[in-house]
Amino acid sequence: MTEQMDKETREAALQGMGCSRKRKEDARFIQGKGRYTDDIQMAGMLFADMVRSPYAHARIKSINKEKALALPGVHAVLTADDLKPLNLHWMPTLAGDVQAVLADEKVHFQYQEVAVVVADDRYIAADAVDLVEVEYEELPVLVDAHKAMDADAPVLREDLIGKMQGAHSERKHDNHIFNWQAGDKEATDRVFQNAEVVVSQDMYYHRVHPCPLETCGCVASFDKVNGHLTVYLTSQAPHVVRTVVSMLSGLPESKVRVISPDIGGGFGNKVGIYPGYVTAIVASIVLGVPVKWVEDRMENISTTAFARDYHMTGEIAADKDGIIKALRVNVLADHGAFDACADPSKFPAGLMHICTGSYDVPVAHLNVDGVYTNKAPGGVAYRCSFRVTEAVYVIERTMDVLAQKLGVDKAEIRRRNFIKSEQMPYKTCLGWEIDSGNYHMSLQKVLDAVDYDGLRREQEEKRAKGELMGIGLVTFTEIVGAGPSRNCDILGIGMFDSAEIRVHPTGSAIARMGTITQGQGHQTTYAQIIATELGLPSEEIQIEEGDTDTAPYGLGTYGSRSTPVAGAATAVAARKIKAKAQKIAAHLLEVSEDDLEWEVDRFKVKGNPGQEKTMKEIAWAAYNNVPEGMEPGLEAVDYYDPPNFTYPYGIYLCVVDIDKQTGETSVRRFYALDDCGTRINPMIIDGQIHGGLNEGFAVAMGQEMPYDEQGNLLGNTLMDYFVPTFVETPKWETDFTVTPSPHHPLGAKGVAESPHVGSIPTFTSAIVDAFAHLGVTHLNMPHTAPRLWKTMQELGVK
Amino acid sequence: MQVDLDKTFELPGSANKGWTFLQDIPGVASCMPGAEITEQVDQSNYKGSVKAKVGPATMAFAGNIEIKSIDTEKRELHMVGKGQDSKGTSSATMDLTAWVIEEDGKAILKGKASVTVTGKAASLGGRMMTQVADQILNQFGKNFCNNVAAMGEDEAAVQAREELAEQPKELNGFAFAWSVFVGWLRSIFGGKASS
Repeated sequence: MTEQMDKETREAALQGMGCSRKRKEDARFIQGKGRYTDDIQMAGMLFADMVRSPYAHARIKSINKEKALALPGVHAVLTADDLKPLNLHWMPTLAGDVQAVLADEKVHFQYQEVAVVVADDRYIAADAVDLVEVEYEELPVLVDAHKAMDADAPVLREDLIGKMQGAHSERKHDNHIFNWQAGDKEATDRVFQNAEVVVSQDMYYHRVHPCPLETCGCVASFDKVNGHLTVYLTSQAPHVVRTVVSMLSGLPESKVRVISPDIGGGFGNKVGIYPGYVTAIVASIVLGVPVKWVEDRMENISTTAFARDYHMTGEIAADKDGIIKALRVNVLADHGAFDACADPSKFPAGLMHICTGSYDVPVAHLNVDGVYTNKAPGGVAYRCSFRVTEAVYVIERTMDVLAQKLGVDKAEIRRRNFIKSEQMPYKTCLGWEIDSGNYHMSLQKVLDAVDYDGLRREQEEKRAKGELMGIGLVTFTEIVGAGPSRNCDILGIGMFDSAEIRVHPTGSAIARMGTITQGQGHQTTYAQIIATELGLPSEEIQIEEGDTDTAPYGLGTYGSRSTPVAGAATAVAARKIKAKAQKIAAHLLEVSEDDLEWEVDRFKVKGNPGQEKTMKEIAWAAYNNVPEGMEPGLEAVDYYDPPNFTYPYGIYLCVVDIDKQTGETSVRRFYALDDCGTRINPMIIDGQIHGGLNEGFAVAMGQEMPYDEQGNLLGNTLMDYFVPTFVETPKWETDFTVTPSPHHPLGAKGVAESPHVGSIPTFTSAIVDAFAHLGVTHLNMPHTAPRLWKTMQELGVK
Repeated sequence: MQVDLDKTFELPGSANKGWTFLQDIPGVASCMPGAEITEQVDQSNYKGSVKAKVGPATMAFAGNIEIKSIDTEKRELHMVGKGQDSKGTSSATMDLTAWVIEEDGKAILKGKASVTVTGKAASLGGRMMTQVADQILNQFGKNFCNNVAAMGEDEAAVQAREELAEQPKELNGFAFAWSVFVGWLRSIFGGKASS
């Protein structure tokens, strides 16, 4: 008994996996001691600011920089012509396209970068921006993606005229970017032709922006003496940035150091490489002094990576019992003026082909056409894994439509079509292998928790009284942890990730990863993994990320990939250390390795109590008493190439009441059950889920980037752009089940994005459900009061 | 951001008087609050400017006005004004057709305007565009009427000249915002926005 208690005490002292350890990062953040890019100050540092286009589509007739250059404190004004000799006026995008760094003869979207001013401080730079005179000739504007491939549509990308072979496919129009398909079109069409029931639903997943609290920015510092370039950058992928900077600048990668300091939220917005970064780097190389560029809020929302803008049609062919026989999804993807999506190279529509969801779909076909419009470039995964949000939205919405058409409850239609737990791992007809899950069990847990039948009875009563109450239900499966290098790469680099762990002689440790935290709490959770694996207290394990000079190469943090990929690398690296430690322990105890067993923080000789060596003792010995032939030290590095993605899932239920007079929605209840496999830190998971639900609420209920016919972005300030605070946000109820991933070393799956991906269609499902008895099958987001009020007017709701 | 507006103003004098003034381009331009003609380039092209002050910020639009057609028979003028603010962040275009008719012995000025705004002004002020354009045209109509009235020598003409003299020389943001706000309130509470 005492031995058991001793073991438990030692285990608790480690604060390892499964422990709700307080976040290591918070001490500095709540004291205002975080160090963000804009906090970086360097001697002689100059500030860059952008001259931007007021027009969405126009030819640049002239740029006069004389007045700006005459302003005291202004050092340089650069335009595309100045970057041309360096061949940096255009840059490659992650999606195989090119993007103008500074507008080259033409502007393609409102707020596009036209010139950069470099001055003593940000105020002088801003004044000088106003003095740069640009003469434009307006051109016809294209903002409606549906008109992009019309015969008479204005051609946006003159640089691509005649180049009909795109990065991913043939282009069938000058404004066409790619066509991409997955699945078996013929077989799918055949099933549709003979199906007993067919439903089809058009939906628009509107354009939104991740809008992190900290905007994008950088400080570039080129040392002319030794030819070293250091760039502090708000990047979710610093190592990739280093590679790109090296390729673009011609500097050897070993002389480029990229540092991502503290980051105030990324959500996909900080994956790409932006003109501001490139021009600051060029300015620093040319002027030989550090140059800072930090965008303001309007610049952030207007120009650096947006998300979604997918026009989708979901179609299901089923039998009369609602059993799915085939799925067809068609997408028109609005990528803006340059294709700057951040996706694995092979997948121009990301992982959209996870659109068969949690269901046993025999055959499916997905067709995506990407087009150019006069809007800002981007198309990133806003708190999601490469278009998974869109995929989940289209399948979950279409499932609701099927249920409605057949008069079957939306929980029941899902139950009938779920992949059964005994079918796991399940190969989907679009090529994925879902690793694990028990959807039936999780769904039942939610339905019981909320008294689903009771809610439906209440809804009946309310409808009889003319009140609007809606129940939304979504049963989603995500695909995260990109990814196996056989199908995922960025710029040709496989999407592995890495961890390097060094145990010091006294048994404390430092570990560095190729990922970078932006609020996810990596410094806390990675240490917990090592603590459990090595039996060292997590308090004594330092985690460092974001400095390319010290951390091993990794692809960064987005798409919920840190735990599935770098978390796995951490576990494997720790296990390499443990294997060496076992050898040292055997040597110290003068027994064979096989006679040892591991217990919490030590190796014990089997059946011989008291004969043991703790990891701390072993660490000391690693530096002075190792077996003959073994090199001293206790460290390991692992580059983990995952064998598969992980597939976290969730069952979300939402109850709303809609005010008939105002269209205002009140979210009465939101119940979120998540299954992310093994849980490393339950408190951090809860925090991530709350954050994701908040952002899901924001997207579904208010965020949007509306463009008018002239291509003006109406709503690029926080006056218009909805960022919910504690005041607007509903109360969240969270729950979980645990179905470990069979292929991940820890069984963990990743979680930060599930709540965003899953909650958005749940809100739509609830809102539509409130009007379902009036024949409504779908309503486009955002579900704001004015829009719902209009809907009620059209429906004659009084 | 595009807004189409139709406006009707009853003129104090005869239709001929109204038409005479309508052909006086600098005079017509001065009826726009904050606007003036700075240069006549040729018979149908003018250069002009509009200044608006909101708090500490001044927006100055400079641009061209082109007279597309003058139809004396119909008493109709068609002009297009294009301007860009001096900081290059916004631009505006107004395509205006104005004509004077006689109805029941009264002279009426009719206007059809299509206003397009791009850039920051559209992004930040888009939602108020209709109200703002409406108010600008109301102010324009009032000044136009006063100008026509001022063409005479009687007491009304003297009063009209006085009123014109008191007109602010630039578009004052705060006073203007107030009138927009009042117009908006009226539109909400059933009444018509002030005409």
